[in-house]
Amino acid sequence: MNAAQAKNLRVFFSKGKEVTWALRGIDFVLPLGGSLALIGESGSGKTTLLRALLGLVAPSEGEALLFDTNLSSAEAAKRRSVRRRCGYIAQDPYGSLPPTLSVEDAVAEVWQLVHGSTEEAKEKTTSLLEELNIEREMFKSSLRDGLSGGQRQRVAIARALVLEPELLLADEPTSMQDASTRWDVLEVLKRRIKRGMALLFVTHDLLLAKVITERGLVLFQGNPCEEGPSKAIIENPMHPYTEALASALPRLGKPLKAAVRRRGAPKKEGGCPFLPFCPKSFDKCVTSPPFEDISLGRKVACWHFL
Amino acid sequence: MRLLHRWSLWALALGAIIAAIGPYFFKTSPEEAVAPPFVKPVWLAKDAPPSLHLTITEGHLERRFLWEYEPPLRFSLKGAMRFEVPPEVAQIVWQTPKGTMVLYDASKKAESRIDLDARDVSFKLALGLSPFQNPMPHLFPATGEYALRLESSEPPAEISLALQVPGSRWGLLGTDQRGRDVFHLFILGIRVSLLVGLSATFIATALGLAFGLSSGYFGGVIDAVIMRAVDVLLSVPTLPIMIVLAGLWGKGLFNLILILSAFSWMSTARTVRSMTLSLREAPFVEGLRALGAPSSYILWRHLLPEALPLLLANIALGVPGAVLAEAGLSFLGLSDPRLVSWGRMLHEAHAFGAFTSGAWWLILPPGFGIAGLCLVFLDLGRHLEEILDPRLRRKAL
Amino acid sequence: MISIKGLRVTYHGERRSVEALRGVSLDVRQGEVVSVVGESGSGKSTLLFALLRLLPYGTSVSGQVFLDDKDVLELSDEEFRKLRWCKIALVPQGSMNALTPVMTIGSQIAEPMEVHLDLDKIEAKRIAASLLEEVELPVHFSSRYPHQLSGGQRQRAAIAMALACNPNYLLADEPTTALDVIVQAEIVKLLLRLVRERNMGLLLVTHDLPLASGLSDRIAVMHDGAIVEEGESLELIESPRHRHTKALVTALKKLEVES
Repeated sequence: MNAAQAKNLRVFFSKGKEVTWALRGIDFVLPLGGSLALIGESGSGKTTLLRALLGLVAPSEGEALLFDTNLSSAEAAKRRSVRRRCGYIAQDPYGSLPPTLSVEDAVAEVWQLVHGSTEEAKEKTTSLLEELNIEREMFKSSLRDGLSGGQRQRVAIARALVLEPELLLADEPTSMQDASTRWDVLEVLKRRIKRGMALLFVTHDLLLAKVITERGLVLFQGNPCEEGPSKAIIENPMHPYTEALASALPRLGKPLKAAVRRRGAPKKEGGCPFLPFCPKSFDKCVTSPPFEDISLGRKVACWHFL
Repeated sequence: MRLLHRWSLWALALGAIIAAIGPYFFKTSPEEAVAPPFVKPVWLAKDAPPSLHLTITEGHLERRFLWEYEPPLRFSLKGAMRFEVPPEVAQIVWQTPKGTMVLYDASKKAESRIDLDARDVSFKLALGLSPFQNPMPHLFPATGEYALRLESSEPPAEISLALQVPGSRWGLLGTDQRGRDVFHLFILGIRVSLLVGLSATFIATALGLAFGLSSGYFGGVIDAVIMRAVDVLLSVPTLPIMIVLAGLWGKGLFNLILILSAFSWMSTARTVRSMTLSLREAPFVEGLRALGAPSSYILWRHLLPEALPLLLANIALGVPGAVLAEAGLSFLGLSDPRLVSWGRMLHEAHAFGAFTSGAWWLILPPGFGIAGLCLVFLDLGRHLEEILDPRLRRKAL
Repeated sequence: MISIKGLRVTYHGERRSVEALRGVSLDVRQGEVVSVVGESGSGKSTLLFALLRLLPYGTSVSGQVFLDDKDVLELSDEEFRKLRWCKIALVPQGSMNALTPVMTIGSQIAEPMEVHLDLDKIEAKRIAASLLEEVELPVHFSSRYPHQLSGGQRQRAAIAMALACNPNYLLADEPTTALDVIVQAEIVKLLLRLVRERNMGLLLVTHDLPLASGLSDRIAVMHDGAIVEEGESLELIESPRHRHTKALVTALKKLEVES
């Protein structure tokens, strides 16, 4: 059994006659206890991918599985039991927290819904919130206002981790953290990964991916570009988009390198999706390259390597 | 809390206290006539004669007093006396500056019961007046000293006689067409107005909350049915319908409250529904449902608390509506006649000629009372709205 | 040159007062890029609003802010209004705080010119078109509405609006937050180019130290309402002195080295 898996997953949204493709054929396997980063900017489809895995969006083609179960077509009881084995951290910590509860009630609620007991719920809640460096005085604060974005995000993380899930789906979980608190969050995640939690980590930050995941999958406008060990991807990017991402990341003390210029060339049907933006395109690129293995554990969709 | 600085909160508290314990300070029942009808308040008619009560008992067989006014409107003498042995002579004598007259002759009777009222024809005839004559100028012919006494051959064993001469002025707000103390009625009116206003609004809000939550959360057929009901009720002219319903179902207090509630829940339902609709789609609700939380849990623990702040302001703002509706219905005569409410007082003032006899002390107090109560709740409601509506709130430190 | 001396700002709320800036001093010269780096709550946004006198009514402000020898805090509202936008302009955090959704991009860029420079509509529109070119947006965007543009494009439009009256100094509040990484890099390059070409002084506020280090001449690190360290970018990164700066740099270096 795998923690998560996608098989030729395609998703599109239609609004009347307009069709927007969010995902165009994604394949990956996340084994139990493994960690995978989904790397991409806005419009890459990473959030849609998470939602498809969670059964919130039905695949137009292909499959999105969590613990070998297709959540969008499973029956209610199976859905519930699979869902309880997962933790989900949404990108926006404002809508994902109930405004009527206090910090500790919001976290305890999750435990109580599944296990019922309140003594245990309180224990788990307290230890988890402390681990995430939320001060005791904030425990009774209402989630309606008064908490900073960073604090809210950590409460959302606590809510996702309190059930001790076997799989964590995290969508930019450190986006609102300061430099100092970001490490605390990463440490919390790392500890659990060591204890066997699988992690699906969505981010645009290659550095974060490198720090916390074993493997990474780079997405561009719903298409897979590159897959491989996280360290290798960032230190030795192959696909031109990965290169652009890596060079655009601000690094301490290093002036910004040349960024990709949006050429805005018209998209050619059937061509490489990155073609309009690629500084290295050549004649072969009018045909879309397949996403294939090129060496041990590394896959690219670029004619320069195939 | 800024709420404590609001005058309306204190006014409301004061009104509630007065409504609760005020009536106990009155010695008589509110239905009892304490003075002639349409009598002015004391502060308005300083020269009108005050009420006079005299009691003849064993120790005081004579009472004297000074009368410096015009003849009063009423005169009644009630009581009983008993002699050990039937007396030779026993008369109740009334002495005026212009002479004396015998009001009652109890000679040769061991026990007598006396119940005289100046309006009685027998009394007028006994005094030698024509049945249609006004006896008062005869009883009070001039200003000066007057006395009431028992003249008897022996002192009685027991005697208790009360002379009541209601004045032409009474109390803080005078009297109504039945001679009842208007101030007493006014105080009682606070109770009814508060009771009707608050309970009708509470019921309406509860209905609105229930319907709004169901409509917004469950959607589909339930939503469609409830919203069509709202549309119909909102487009129907409420006052005529309430008049018809009050006529059909009777005029009891309970019925009145039900009718008022039935027509005031709609806007609350709409507000709660739209809040529910937006929260229903929130990611955290999605997450809770995925974990297996039942709808009842989500409604109770999350949606309901979110709706409550909205309701508090709605309640405060809804009370004036209920108070005015009740006043309106009562004014049209569609409320329980046994119930003392400000609207009813206005109705009786109108129906029994207070307007034409210029008894403005019957009209202005209930009118101001209604207006004042509405203002208090409007101010409270506005303040609550400010506190509770996050959009209106400034960022507080 | 912008010269801030001993700036103190205290917000007065209903229940308590908060001292947001506790004596801040900083200089920004024309042609120079200075970044103020601080975490949330450090007071960095307050600093920008204080410079433009955009703090809420009732806030206590003391100290001096010299804009080319005139103490801006001493001027009357009318006098300062003449300076705002023409000498010193702001690119606010989040492009939707600069752009109103009900006007076209072109008219929004033209508006400051009509208000502050008294130009007529046609002249202003013409300059607006050239500004759009300068921020690398297609000229036909002039007739588009903000919701029709992407986040990065809106940010560029907000920058064009700030440049409308040819200011000498540009203040930018987290100009790249919420933008994609590649778009971020493009905006940064754009700002650098504008600074060079127009000889403007740029005061940039951010929480992203690596970003600041890649684009500024000088960095001032803020913590809890005060500047704890200030210096030339590379020097500050390589040899931080204050313990807060040290902690920040260490945490960031860990990310780059750790695997």
